[in-house]
Amino acid sequence: MNKLSQEQEEKLLDYIDGNLPASEKEHFEQAIKNSPAMRTRLEELNTLHTSLRTIKIEQPSKNFTQQVMGKLDQYPIRSSSLLSRNGILLLIGVLVAVGISSLLLAGGVFDNTSSFDLNQTIIPNKYIQQSLPTISFNGKMVVNVIILLNLALAFLVLDRAILKPWFERRTRMHV
Amino acid sequence: MTNEYVLIDRILAGEQQLYAELVNRYKSYAFTIALKILEIRPEAEEAAQDAFIKAYHSLASFNREAKFSTWLYRIAFNTAISYKRKRKGSYQSIENVIVEYGQEGEGMLERTDKKKFINLAMSKLNEADRLALNLYYLQEFSLEEIADITGMQANTVKVRIHRARQRLADELKTILQKEALTL
Repeated sequence: MNKLSQEQEEKLLDYIDGNLPASEKEHFEQAIKNSPAMRTRLEELNTLHTSLRTIKIEQPSKNFTQQVMGKLDQYPIRSSSLLSRNGILLLIGVLVAVGISSLLLAGGVFDNTSSFDLNQTIIPNKYIQQSLPTISFNGKMVVNVIILLNLALAFLVLDRAILKPWFERRTRMHV
Repeated sequence: MTNEYVLIDRILAGEQQLYAELVNRYKSYAFTIALKILEIRPEAEEAAQDAFIKAYHSLASFNREAKFSTWLYRIAFNTAISYKRKRKGSYQSIENVIVEYGQEGEGMLERTDKKKFINLAMSKLNEADRLALNLYYLQEFSLEEIADITGMQANTVKVRIHRARQRLADELKTILQKEALTL
């Protein structure tokens, strides 16, 4: 028996679903009549179609609604409060670190400029022929950069953990 | 039936208990969608409940351009898919597939056999094809709605349904031939 083309298969399914345009339908029915392969395939697909039509809606358990209603309050509050609490703790930590650094900075702890001589490193001299430069560190500047980065992180945490959830709650209440 | 949007407005205004009405209205289809994906009743029930809870907490973001049911079923679909992904390496045999069909009335034996073979053939389809086919034959959803729920294009859904039926018909033929040989 000849195998049908994909186009013929598609048309058979459209025919079964009733989606074949009226203009094509009569012509296609004639083609089915003249082709034993198409007739057999139509029968197979039709049997399947009839069986699939018995697929029915499933019912959940009787206390489904009750269970959903019982969980409504727990679910997101638990997760969002957890997120907020962690966020707030992180924010406090960052601000404390910034505060301590600022106090130390104001006290002049980082005022000294130290230098780092690369020639004194543990790299054996036999690998390096030329003399290496000495790098000087400005402690004040380094701590300032760290404070700046911490402040940026604090703003980010403030936005994500406090402001965003707060605005979301406000929107929900006013819609 | 209370207008859905009025109901949603009242829920958002704080009348939480009214959400039960929406749950009752849509629980069967949400559960069916989850069951067709997960194939295990308790897991599908949990996923469907989870979907309703997620929907409740996202109700303010429902933009009312689509039908509420479509929006909800999409959440149910995504939740069930994420449950399936979380399932760790569990092999499910065909015997455990709990897609139930009616078993009452005359010709029960013949019908039960036919359903068994269809189930067997269905289990050989890929997940997306199987779901598209199931949703289509629930006769509640148009191709466009199935596309909205599954996040596919309507044309893709149509192709999947056609392809799934072709494969299913072929599988059924093979299964029935094997059955005939064992008789």
